[in-house]
Amino acid sequence: MEAILQGLLDLAGVGAAIVFDATGQMVDFRGRAIYDRPLCEQVSGTLNKAVDTVRLQQEEWESITAQFADGRLLLQNLAAPGARGHVLAVVADSTLNASFATVAIRVATQKLRKAIAGGTLEPSASGSGTSAPAGSQTPAGSRPPGSGSQPGYDSRTLASTGTTWSKSSSSSVGLSRVASANPASAAFLARCAKQLARHVGPIAKVYVEEAVRRVSPDAPFALASAKSLVEDLAAQIEDPADRTEFMKALEKP
Amino acid sequence: MPIPPLIAKLPEVKSAVVSDRSGGVLEALRQKDGESVAAVVGFLSGAIAEAGDHLGLGALRLVSFTGPARGGVVAVAGAELVAAFVEPPGSLSSVERLLTSALERKET
Repeated sequence: MEAILQGLLDLAGVGAAIVFDATGQMVDFRGRAIYDRPLCEQVSGTLNKAVDTVRLQQEEWESITAQFADGRLLLQNLAAPGARGHVLAVVADSTLNASFATVAIRVATQKLRKAIAGGTLEPSASGSGTSAPAGSQTPAGSRPPGSGSQPGYDSRTLASTGTTWSKSSSSSVGLSRVASANPASAAFLARCAKQLARHVGPIAKVYVEEAVRRVSPDAPFALASAKSLVEDLAAQIEDPADRTEFMKALEKP
Repeated sequence: MPIPPLIAKLPEVKSAVVSDRSGGVLEALRQKDGESVAAVVGFLSGAIAEAGDHLGLGALRLVSFTGPARGGVVAVAGAELVAAFVEPPGSLSSVERLLTSALERKET
């Protein structure tokens, strides 16, 4: 795999080529000196969150491209359609020849898919920056805190169920797909979304809708299910202190 | 900003949403569930921007994604996000260009 990633790194404008798995753990990388292993591991976790989010809209995604003022990020899905799996990420500056790079990345993607199908893609600590000092390397499994997916967050489940759930009634809480038994229940859901958003951001509304579906699948949400809902939502918060704070804020429905 | 009329008129654009970065819907076109789309788009752009920040790539301008049946593009317009969903995905690049030029015209 290193040879494939090195081939991408040899393209003019490419600064790093990274492969990470479905949990956001970096499997291997090749990068210029400024893109060292700790940085690429951190970015892998962040990009995995982005991939999980795209899957909420489009489970069978093939590629994601991000254009920045000073460069590009190109992500390719290395998994079979509809499955979660490895992702190739290419970091490039503004000198990248996009047309040429697209072909090269496509070829590399095919090779990496074959390597994965053949079982030859194993987590490795051997990947490195082209001139990074050896001391900068850390074990492949040591992601920085907060860089990976949140525990309990299975985006496949979310993607396969959340965006198509149609059992709905309108509410005034910004959770239009959630059926609630009464105004008090709707108000509690709004509080949940607001409190959760403090810890996970705007995706909180989607989490709340999914959680309601899990704790109250056959009936409109009622306050009787409030405790189960809060516990379910708390599992989306990675930091224990934040989790406790969230649960405390919602103790009194 | 409103959804650019050029984008709204394209038959390939199946839906579009303008939102703020915190996931609030400002305008939705042919999209019944604008709130969820806005939430997803807000989180996606935030995560990608964070990665770009770590990598020193500068400000995020555009995110696009493709699949076998459709594609999507999210353009950053100041504090707002313009998302368009396109079928077939082969039309995505032309929608990207139109969206980018519409936003550039707005800036100038």
